[in-house]
Amino acid sequence: MAHIVLDSCAGRDGGREALEAAAIASLQLDHQITVVGDESDITTALAKIAHDAERLRVAHARDRCEPDMDAAEVLRQAPRNSVVVGLEIAARDPSAVFVSAGAPGLIVAGAQQILGRIPGVPHAALAAVYPTLRPHGPVSDLFALLLDVGATVECSGDDLVTFAAMGAAYAAKISRIDRPRVALLCNGHGISNAPARAREAHRRLLAARPAFEYVGCIRADSVTSGDADVIVTDGFSGDVLLRTLEGVAATGESLLRRAAEKFQWRVGVQMLSDGISAIREFTDWENYGGAPLLGFDRAVMVTQADSGRRAFLNAIRLGAKIDRLQVIAAISAGVAEFHGLGAPPASPPDPEAT
Amino acid sequence: MTTEPTDPSEPTSPEGQALQPRRFMHLRWDLDKTYLRTEFDTVKDLIRTFRQKAEDKVAVAGASALLRALLDPRERSHRRVTFISGSPRQMRKVLTAKLALDGVEPDMFILKPNLENLLRGRFRAIRGQVGYKLKALLLSHMAAEHVDEYLFGDDAEQDAFIYSVYADILAGRIDAVALAAILSTCKVYRGDVDEIMAYHRQLFGSGEVVRRIFIHLERRSPLDRFAGYGARVVAIYNYFQGAAVLFEAGALEPRGLLAVTAAMESDGYTPERLANSLQDLMRRGVLHFGTIERMSRELAAAESTMGRPVPRFLHAFEDAIGSLENLQRPGPRWESEINYLGIYHEARFRRQQHRFLGIRLLD
Repeated sequence: MAHIVLDSCAGRDGGREALEAAAIASLQLDHQITVVGDESDITTALAKIAHDAERLRVAHARDRCEPDMDAAEVLRQAPRNSVVVGLEIAARDPSAVFVSAGAPGLIVAGAQQILGRIPGVPHAALAAVYPTLRPHGPVSDLFALLLDVGATVECSGDDLVTFAAMGAAYAAKISRIDRPRVALLCNGHGISNAPARAREAHRRLLAARPAFEYVGCIRADSVTSGDADVIVTDGFSGDVLLRTLEGVAATGESLLRRAAEKFQWRVGVQMLSDGISAIREFTDWENYGGAPLLGFDRAVMVTQADSGRRAFLNAIRLGAKIDRLQVIAAISAGVAEFHGLGAPPASPPDPEAT
Repeated sequence: MTTEPTDPSEPTSPEGQALQPRRFMHLRWDLDKTYLRTEFDTVKDLIRTFRQKAEDKVAVAGASALLRALLDPRERSHRRVTFISGSPRQMRKVLTAKLALDGVEPDMFILKPNLENLLRGRFRAIRGQVGYKLKALLLSHMAAEHVDEYLFGDDAEQDAFIYSVYADILAGRIDAVALAAILSTCKVYRGDVDEIMAYHRQLFGSGEVVRRIFIHLERRSPLDRFAGYGARVVAIYNYFQGAAVLFEAGALEPRGLLAVTAAMESDGYTPERLANSLQDLMRRGVLHFGTIERMSRELAAAESTMGRPVPRFLHAFEDAIGSLENLQRPGPRWESEINYLGIYHEARFRRQQHRFLGIRLLD
């Protein structure tokens, strides 16, 4: 049984949908759920929603963070915010999974202060899944993993190599792939024109004999082909790529809506409605369950800022799966093996890190 | 409908010892979904329930332990328990056998004359509960000078409604005109109305007898659904919560509380689930921090005297309520005038939305 720690201060409708997701999860899933936020507001809201109080607990977070503050400012001016309180609860419980739609920068900064790091992982990576044309692994998983998508903007070659080891361990557990295919994201001219960090990572990955299969570089126009199970890049490029994919999907939606302007187009869209619904379902980010933040000794799920009930519920389900399959331990072992480290006990939190 | 209510918890000191030791305690229990885990949402469920043997019937976790604790043999002469169930009379034998297996001997066991209703063409009475249960409650009212009643029902039917009407009749807050309007709205058969009005004449204004009405949230209905009834109705997710409230009121001895805790534990309840339940009551203002501290002390004492492994419970309690130590949550108000017709119509509207529009009952 996992312990889900859910930040109810962010998400659609001021976090109300996060709370509703927690209530639904308390009725449907057999997990301990701790909702973090203003206790009085949560208790008042919960009275109106069907929930199971036997599985749901409230943790009070005194401070509320304003959306326009940056991470350092929030940690200084609102030190008892829901992200910090939630991460502290997660730090005390090995089976805890923290889920939040708060600002990724704040979650990363908070996690660096409060959670223990996996040995050999100097910087965290945010891993997002995206749909591909070719299924992955024995369970025909249609999603591939892209990391980092925003946790570490400035990366070194060492970071990229570590991300590869973490992503491969994650995919091996979640998608049940024996030897995940890992690729480095490059520009259109091959590795020779890539930045120094990518060249270094490429060289080290080729030289190593990892538990995964390194398939070399991949261009951005091939990421959805499914040639790689895990694509590794720095946080800046990953975020740009992910937003581009989401933007293309959103543009497709807008174009479909425009089809309503002409009768013939409307009829055509109507005839294709089943297929369009299937594609919409396939590309809907709310179905993916959030992005796991890898590199810490606890599972942390970051969902989009405007996440609704479905997104939170899927994030809770994925977080529980990460706990059940002991993915964090697998990542720890994968990184240790790659770097030739010994047994991987989680390091204590670094109070100096921000 | 004019009498101001008195808070029945008032005579109880914070230490919960102010109840007079020789007061009568009358416990009224519903059976299905309150005491027994029963499924009767489909015809198949109904048939299975009807054919079940006594040993196959399962009590809700902690229900029999709580009932046995409340019917403490040392106090039995001053305790009375009445079961009022919507199950047909033909099930009396098997239900009595089940209660006997659980070590519970009811003083009165009232079952519904469903076959008679069917043969007389009173089809509304087969499904309806208001006329039947209200009449049964008034019929079995214990006419003693010092009596405290604790009623137990569930959220699957109209128990909170019926029990509250009963309590307010005794308290003198529902006069004959108001009662007639309620019974008419609930479409109670004329014969039942006449009988209920006759009981009303006898019992109206007997006193503030009903201390608490516990509603077992078998369907996990939203808590707000019971807010209109005021503090007398306490919605509970499990009988550990019920035991905690009764312990605070001084109606349950520490050993009774321990027995319920042990029963919940053996039924698979983890310390975390019990701690969450306590936190829920505390956040709702139903239970006070001091009571949870007292409960923890009793549990700790039990460890040394009974050898129970309680540190996990104590740790879970501390973890759940520690951060809320300074919580000063006012409890729900004791309603002086409950809008019964409003509550009835609201519930009916909700059921119709569910039936005709498919809107989930729990939303």
